[in-house]
Order: sequence, then C-alpha cells, then structure tokens
Amino acid sequence: MSLLNAKILVALMLVIGAVVLARSAHVRLPGNHQGYEPRQPIAYSHRLHAGELKIDCRYCHYGAETSRHAGIPSASVCMNCHQTVTAGYDAVLRERERAEKEGRDPTRIVSSELRKLYDALALDEELEPTGEPGTPIEWVRVHNMPDFVYFDHRVHVARDIACETCHGPVQGMERIRQVPTLSMGWCIDCHRSQPATPGGPVEKHASIDCATCHF
Amino acid sequence: MSHEDHSELLLPFDGPNPSRRSFLHLVGFGLASAAFSGCSRGPVQHAIAALDASPEFVPGRVYWIASTCRACEAGCGVLAKCRDGRPIKLEGTPGHPVSGGGLCPSGQASILSLYDSKRFDGPQRGGERASWEQADRELGAALDGLRRSGGRVRLLTGTINGPSTRAAIARFLDGFRDARHVTYDGLSASALLDAHGRVLGRRILPRLRFELAKTIVSFDADFLSTWISPVEFTAGYTKGRSLEGAAPRMSKHVQLEARTSLTGCRADERVRLAPWETGPALAGLCDLLERRAGGAGRCAGAADVAPQRELLERLAGELWGSSGASLVVAGSDDVDVQVLASYANHLLGNYGTTLDVERPSLQRMGDDRALSELAEELAAGRVDALVVQGVNPAYDLAGRLPIERAKLLVSCAAAPDETSARATWVCPEPHFLEAWDDAEPFAGTFALTQPTVPLLRAGRTLRELLARWSGDAREDRELLRETWRQELFPRQSAEADFDAFFDRALHEGYQRLDGAAEAPGPFRADAIDAAARAQGSVQGPKAGALALIAYPKAGMLDGRNAHNPWLHELPDPVTKITWDNYACLSAATAARLDLEEGDVVRLAPSGGDGGEAALPVHIQRGQHDGVVAVALGYGRAGTDRFTKVGPEWVDARETVAPGGTVGASVAGLAVAAGCVRRFAGSDVTVTATGESVELASTQDYHSLSLPEHLAIDGHEVREVVFSTTFDAWREDPGAGVHRHPVPAGDLWPEDHESDTTWGMTIDLARCTGCSACVLGCQAENNVPVVGRDEVRRHREMSWLRIDRYFQGDDDDLRTLHQPMLCQHCDHAPCEAVCPVLATVHSEGGLNQQVYNRCVGTRYCANTCPYKVRRFNWFDYARPDEMQNHSLNPDVTVRSRGVMEKCSFCVQRIQEARSEAKREGREVRDGDVTPACQQSCPAQAIAFGNLRDPGSRVAELAATPRAYSVLEELNVQPSVRYLTHVHNGRPDSGGGEDHGH
Repeated sequence: MSLLNAKILVALMLVIGAVVLARSAHVRLPGNHQGYEPRQPIAYSHRLHAGELKIDCRYCHYGAETSRHAGIPSASVCMNCHQTVTAGYDAVLRERERAEKEGRDPTRIVSSELRKLYDALALDEELEPTGEPGTPIEWVRVHNMPDFVYFDHRVHVARDIACETCHGPVQGMERIRQVPTLSMGWCIDCHRSQPATPGGPVEKHASIDCATCHF
Repeated sequence: MSHEDHSELLLPFDGPNPSRRSFLHLVGFGLASAAFSGCSRGPVQHAIAALDASPEFVPGRVYWIASTCRACEAGCGVLAKCRDGRPIKLEGTPGHPVSGGGLCPSGQASILSLYDSKRFDGPQRGGERASWEQADRELGAALDGLRRSGGRVRLLTGTINGPSTRAAIARFLDGFRDARHVTYDGLSASALLDAHGRVLGRRILPRLRFELAKTIVSFDADFLSTWISPVEFTAGYTKGRSLEGAAPRMSKHVQLEARTSLTGCRADERVRLAPWETGPALAGLCDLLERRAGGAGRCAGAADVAPQRELLERLAGELWGSSGASLVVAGSDDVDVQVLASYANHLLGNYGTTLDVERPSLQRMGDDRALSELAEELAAGRVDALVVQGVNPAYDLAGRLPIERAKLLVSCAAAPDETSARATWVCPEPHFLEAWDDAEPFAGTFALTQPTVPLLRAGRTLRELLARWSGDAREDRELLRETWRQELFPRQSAEADFDAFFDRALHEGYQRLDGAAEAPGPFRADAIDAAARAQGSVQGPKAGALALIAYPKAGMLDGRNAHNPWLHELPDPVTKITWDNYACLSAATAARLDLEEGDVVRLAPSGGDGGEAALPVHIQRGQHDGVVAVALGYGRAGTDRFTKVGPEWVDARETVAPGGTVGASVAGLAVAAGCVRRFAGSDVTVTATGESVELASTQDYHSLSLPEHLAIDGHEVREVVFSTTFDAWREDPGAGVHRHPVPAGDLWPEDHESDTTWGMTIDLARCTGCSACVLGCQAENNVPVVGRDEVRRHREMSWLRIDRYFQGDDDDLRTLHQPMLCQHCDHAPCEAVCPVLATVHSEGGLNQQVYNRCVGTRYCANTCPYKVRRFNWFDYARPDEMQNHSLNPDVTVRSRGVMEKCSFCVQRIQEARSEAKREGREVRDGDVTPACQQSCPAQAIAFGNLRDPGSRVAELAATPRAYSVLEELNVQPSVRYLTHVHNGRPDSGGGEDHGH
C-alpha cells in the first residue's frame, strides 16, 4: 500500500469518527446511560397504565415505600387486573359487537402481549394453570446504579420526592427511558438544594456524606 | 487478529522505517477507539421478578426468623436475618434464656456451612447418588427384615435433647427386639454426668449459674470459650462482674490449669497445675473444706500431700466465705476428679444455688462408657444395623470404634466425612437453617428451630427418617407439631389453643414450661471415699514423656467446623495462630528439648499403641512444663479443598498440600483401646523431625508498639491497655488510667456543627477475647478469607482483631485482650494523607472509606497509629461460589487495589436512619447495633451517639474508666476503652508487652 492509500485511510477514519460524534447528541461520560430505552420482553406501556389509567406508581412498585428497592412487580401483581382484562378495550368492544351481530356469546380476546404474560405464568387459553412450571419474565433493567452505590427509595418517598424527579415523565412513555444522567453530580445537586427537614433552611441540606450512598 | 495481520496494517503507513509521527497517529487512533468503546453501554442487565410473591415479601427488605442455633449442643437463640428469600446473617436472640443475646464464632460461621456446595444432595448408596425412594425402599426392606428376624439395631448419635426427635427415636427402637440408642459427644462431659450419677443417683448435668457465684474455682474448665455452653457461661460470668449500677460486684475467679486457656487468661488468678495434680489438689481442697465444715473427713490427710498447699488453704478460706454462692468446676474427663469437684460444691452448699439440679442442663447427654460396649458388640460382629447421626466416630474415635463391622452402616452426615465414607448408605440431614427441630437445653425450657430457606440440598432430619422407617410418612413439621401437641401443650395453661401456643413458641423461638421440677436425691457422701483414695495413686508421665492435653479450639471445636474457612482463619484467641493446629510447649520444655517455634515434632504414644501426629511447635506462655497441648478437630478428611483458598499469583503458596489436611488429628493419641477417651493426661513422647514450618500467626504484626530507634523521648513505652484491681477501682474510679497531656490548640477547628458523633465504648473488664465479634464482623461486612500464605504475609483482612497482651512470667501470667478496630478519629491521620480524598470525615463523625475513589496508595494504612486498615492485594474470590449467597447485599464487595477498614457498620446506621425517616422520627439510642456489639456474649460493646447525653455510650464514655488508646497522639478517637478491672493482686499496670 502506498503513502497515498494510508492518507486516504486516515481521512476515512476521521470522517467516520465525525459521523459517529454527530449522531450522538453530545459526548457522554463512561457509564452514563442517559436516554437508554431498551426493548422489553413485553411491550408494557407506562403511558397507558400510569398516564391514561392513572394507576399509582406504588401500586406495582410497592417496595418503594418500605424498602431500598422499588422492585419490579411480580407477575401475580399484573394478574390482579389482567385476570379480567385480557385485551385492549377496543378489541373487546369489536368482538362484543360482532358477537351481537352474529347472535352468539362473545369469546375471550387475548392480546398478543398479554399472552406472553400468561405464558410466563403457564396459564392456558382459559387462564387456568397448565401445571407446567412458569418462566419468570426477564425485564431489561433501565435505571441501574453501579454496585458501590446504595440508593434508598423509601427515604425519598418519605420525603415526598416525586417519582418523576428521577425517572422522568413516565406517564408519557410508551417504553421506559432513562431521562436524567443518574450521575453522582446530578444526585448531589439535588441533595444540596433540598433542606434536610421538610420546610427547613436549604443551608442544612440533605446529607452529602460519602457514606450516605457508598458503603 | 494474528501477529502477521498486525504488521500488514502497520506497514502501509511508513514502509520499513516507521516515523514517530505516524506512530503517534496510530496511538491516537487506538486511544480514540478505546474512548468510544468506553462510551458504549455495558452488558444488558436483567431484572427478574418472582412470578408469584406474597405482598409481605418486599425485595430488599430484611425480615427476621427466630430460631435456635444447632452449631453445637448448647441451644442458643438466633435470629436469622433474611433477605430476598434466604438467610444472610445470624444474630443472637436478645434475652434468650440460654444465650442472653450473644452468639459465638461457631454459631456466626454456621451461615457459611449452609451454602457449602460440598453438602450431599440426596442419599448416597455405596458412594453413588441414589434417590430417596430407593433409600426408603431398600432401607425399609432391610429394617423390616431385622424387625422380623430380631436383628440388633444400634443408633449412635450426639446429644439429642429435642422432644420430637426423642419421641421418634423411641418409636423407632420400639419396633425391634434388640435396639439401643447410644449417645456420645465429640466434646464430652460424660465424666461430669457420671460423677453426678454416683453422688446424686441421677446422671445429670447441673445447670451452672456463674452469675450467682462470688467465688469461682476452675480446674482446667475452659468455660468461657468451649466448655459445654460458653455463651451462656460468659453472659453469666460477666453478670457476676458488673461494675455498673448501684451495687457493683466482682466475683473472684481462680483458674488452675496446665495449658493456657482463654478462661485462664481471664482469671483473676491463674496457677499452673499439671493434669495429674488436678485430682490430688481437689482432694486437698475437699479436705480443707471438710475441716472447716467439721465433717466426716472423707478426704482426711489429702491436703497434706496436695500440690499448691498454700494456695489451696487460701482458696478454701475464700470459698468457705462465700458458701452457697461459689462454684468449683473441673474440665476433667476423670470421673473421680469430677466426683471430688461435686463434693467440694456439696460441702460449700452450692447445690440448689449455683448448681441447679432441679432443672438441670441437657446440653450434654453423652455416655462414654456405652461406647466401650458398642465397640465390643461391633468387633464381635453382633450389630446388624448401625445408624450414625450428628457425630463422626471414624474421626472422633480414630478408628477405635469398628463401625465398618456393622452389617448395615447408615450415616446421616450432611457433607462427606470420615464416617460417611465407610457407610453403605448416606441419608444426609439438612442444615439447621433449612429444617425443623426442637431442643430442651434446660429441663423445662424448649427451643424451636425453624427453616429460613427451602431445602437447598435434598436432606431429611433424623426424625423424619426414623418416622419413615417406622412407616409414618408424615411431613417433618407435622411430626414435630405432633410431639408439641401431645407432650408440651398440656403442660401449660397460658394458651387454650394449640396453634396459638405453637405460634407463640415460633415467634419467641422458645417456650418455658413449668413442669414438675425433680428434687435431687440426698448427696451420697460414701461415693467420695473411692474417688479420694484413687488420688493417692495418681502418677505423672513417665520419664521422657509429656502429658498430652487435647483441647477444643474456639470455633473448630471437635472438628465439626473443619470445612468452614472463616473459622480456620479466625486467629485462636490465645495463640493468635490461624489455619493450623500445633503442639504447644512451655518455653522451658521447648528449650529442654532444643525446639523452636515452628519446628515440626512427632508426637507418639509412650509405650502404648495408637496414632502418631506430626505437628509444628508453638511456644506458649503460661503453660505447664510437663504437658504438650494440641487442638482437636484438625486433620479432617477433605480439608484439602482449601488448597487453593486465597489469591492465585506467581508467588502464592498453597494453604494445604494437595491431598493433605489442615493440621493433624491427635484423636489417635487421646483415644485408647475400647474407645476410652482421655483428653488430658495420656503420655506422649515428643521427638524433633528436623523440619520446620512457619505458622500463620497474626500476633506480631499490627503491633502498636514503636521500635526503640523511632521513639520520641519518654514515648518508648506505649501503654494501650490499662488495668486495675476491683479494690483500687472502688476507691478511685479512674484508677489504672495513665492520662497523657494532650497538646493544646487545634490544627483542625470544627468547621461544621453536627448533632451526631457516632462512637463506641469497649469494656475491657467485660471482654473475654472470645472472638465472637470478629466473626460477626466478617459475616456482616463481607470480609474475605485470604488463606494461610497471605496471613503469613500479614495480609489478613479482618476489620476487627483482638490484640492480646501478656504480662508477667509463666507462673503468674496476666493476659489482656483488646478488640482493635478503626477508631474513627476526629483528627484522623489517614484523612490528611490521602491524595484522592478517598477517606474523609462524615458529619456524623465517621471516618468514611470510599472504595470507588481509592486508588490504593496505602499512605493511610502506613499513617494509621492503630494499624486497622486492610488493603486488597487481590480480588479475593470465594472458591466455593455457592457461598456467595451469604454475602451481605448491603455492603460493597471490595475489589483489588482498594483500602478497607471498619465502617462502624455504616450500612446499619443508614438503615436505622432510613427507617426513622420513613416513620417520621429521629434515630433513637439503641436503633443502631453494629455486628460486633450484637454478637458479644459479654455485652462489652456499646454504640451510639456520643453527643446525645442520654445515650448509653455517652454515659459510659463519661465514666472515669474511659480512656482513648494512644491518647497522647491527640487523634481524638471515637472509640473509648474502659479499663480492665480484675479481682486479683495489684499489678504494675500497662500492657505494652506484646508477648509470644
């Protein structure tokens, strides 16, 4: 290969590099997963449940009040509603109309996404247990802290910090996305601006001791 | 990419002679791509929730299960701390009738044995895996055959005091024409039971009430460390020596012993007495007491020939002065000696006060004499089926019990051991944390053990096994409940409903039932004559031989914990040696035999037959010249699993030679033909082998003393342990403390106000050095095991160590123990030297160690005057991955290259703060209990907010006994020690001598 070829190669690399840089809105620090919005095994919509149906976050993530972890709800929590609700309202309405027209009883409509839930629980068409062992759903974790960080949900919930403060406008998200950087600086900014006691002076702010989160 | 590929890529840039510029191009490109790849996302992490979880089950939230520890026979109460469906830590149940709230090292470490991947998963037939159905079918058929043919069935177990298992055993044995239950204990108290059989007509073990004793005389009984029920005894002992409250009191404790035991180290007075002198000395003591009582004189004349005549005169006087509130105990395995000890107690009127015989202890029920019978039967081939549970006779009895002669040998060992290796069938039992069980530690006190996790390995309890073999296929829990319903429920009247009664027992972990207390029979003084006479013919070892003392070591006990790496790495509280047993010799004896520390010697029975053992020598201060003391429980089969424990690196040496064992067994020297066990007094010869090894001791590093050439004038001697006598303390509560002038002025004025300063007090008058705190800390804080080689290199990782200081000579040895941990100094030297601010002060006064900031300069460890910082030279992965389940999820697992140290269990502080905030209140005194404080049987540790004047820790820190170690350095530690107060003779004070 000649010297010219080499120059072309370097130029090509620079171009590729520039394109890569331009595609990402800004350069992120290592470990910053802001904007992470992975596909989940079931297309669960927070927009529908939290936004449209206005279900309280803590109905499913009930650990947030009493535990360090808010928790991913177990499939049995889903079944509290989805024992009855097996498909979207539109689909059920359509089936009811069609059944009325055809003069028969409406059949149970099961949406393809909810079928995945029932499969995980090893339930048959009639939502009766098949007797097979279930397979837990492998959700993809979005908000993930490094192992040396100990975030405690219950304190923040007790202080009435809204879930949206850290998790963004979940009510509008079809798929969960990480909105803030979740970096240490971002945590500390908030701790500095929050009074240690509700309504107290900001000078006595929430603790920024290392051992508040690292131990 | 291969090497050739690389050169092709490189070549086009500049032909054969690459220029500096093009090289930089390439490096730059490499760096850029590395940076880009750094920005990419890490591996996808999944969050897998349970399919079906009860609403009470909250991920990450701790729940507690009350249970009973079965790590030994004592039956201490434990609360299993569970998270996400599994136990992660064991803590003592506060106020438990046995333990009072502490938990010993063995108990603490038993959580690790639960996650031992070497445990059997289901039964084994001839070493091959089999199913329970197969076991039920084949063993059921074999036993049915024996029922019909009238075959002999023997059940060999350790102490079983649980009513449900006893009921199952009775039912099982009932079905055979010739079936018997034989019990022996690895750590035997058989002689003590036999002695009471002789003098009271009932083979019972009195419950010892150390808290009621004003004078305690112990002949070789190591009751604070390993003897019968050490946690209970430690709690009682310290209660009898309480300096708090309106009426401070302190019992007088005199220990006469041959080896240097932990209990001897705590004694107010310690005298060296050979094992062959114990009986004559006790007979002499009885003689002197008889003279005071003006009685029959069954031991008449014994005092005139007794050793230590002067001491005995004095002891008799002191004991007599506290008649009815004194205690004479002996650790001997000689029934005659125990008879004399009980006679002394009888003369002193201690039965009914310090020795409870109406509600006696059931913590040891073994009968060594029954072993001889069984040995004969086995040798004659007269046993058709032998079921072994809870003991390991092939190891304990060194092959003296021919178990392989049984036609059918069934072992219930949970993990492979010497006995299971010889068994036809292995029907493994579960770990106590995954099974139901009950116990009756004292007559009328019933303790429950309940599962904290579903069976991790397919095991069955002896109760369930025997019920199956008796044709009862009920679940284990039902079997246990049945006994409680039939036998215990009718004995109480508080609850009308059985379920309510049982649930309450489950919630508390125990139930006290008022049964009819059995009054003891009259004392049979005529039993004394033979025992006293026998002392006349007692002889010492033959010329050229030493008397062997085979003693149990804290944690390792009789060898049941030999597969637990935590306990192997726990330094012995007296010798500070890890990962080994060794032959302890006095300095004089070692000099006479021309032996030095680490020289390997061969111990052989003098004249008789029996096993030999090769062991390194340890020179032990305070030991009798005529004895060689060796720890039991070592040399267990399968301990070569620890060959690779610790980090693997180029210069690493193995902890155990492949195929070898950790330490060597001396059971062969302590067990004579006919299964007669003699733990003290067998004659052995000691011969040098010419080899030498380096023992892994933690004693002589992390020393707080200063090399002479570095010391400032007047600072050569650093006094770190202060000691005074009870009398001096009563006159001056600050007695013994040497205050140092602290430089005036402050380099670091307080720059912020805080209402919290976390602090700790450690009462050296209470601390016995038992090391429960060391294990508690290890379990709580994910402290790794590093292996023998790394310990030799001074790299053990424990955050809390027990420093041991010897004073005086062998004849008058005073030992002081001092738990040493990060002092959380207000003016911490480590904080000033860290270049990356990885160790900084918190508002709560904690010296924080931030792992994610630490770059591992180790400046902080060098500057720490207390030597409590530990550096991760490696990633200390656990060789047994399953044991990672016992890791505390609330504490970071530290990686290579970072410094770590005691955090005052900051995770518990944060937990308490979070809970307080959730409940909308302030943190209260007592909300935070660090792991060390929780486990302490003596309640020597207090923790809390020093700035809260109402807190217990502030109260104790303000007493005149409180002092800071190395006060003169003005680093202002948050840990205050309270002077050691004893009831012995005045001493010179100060504990600089680090000793050997």
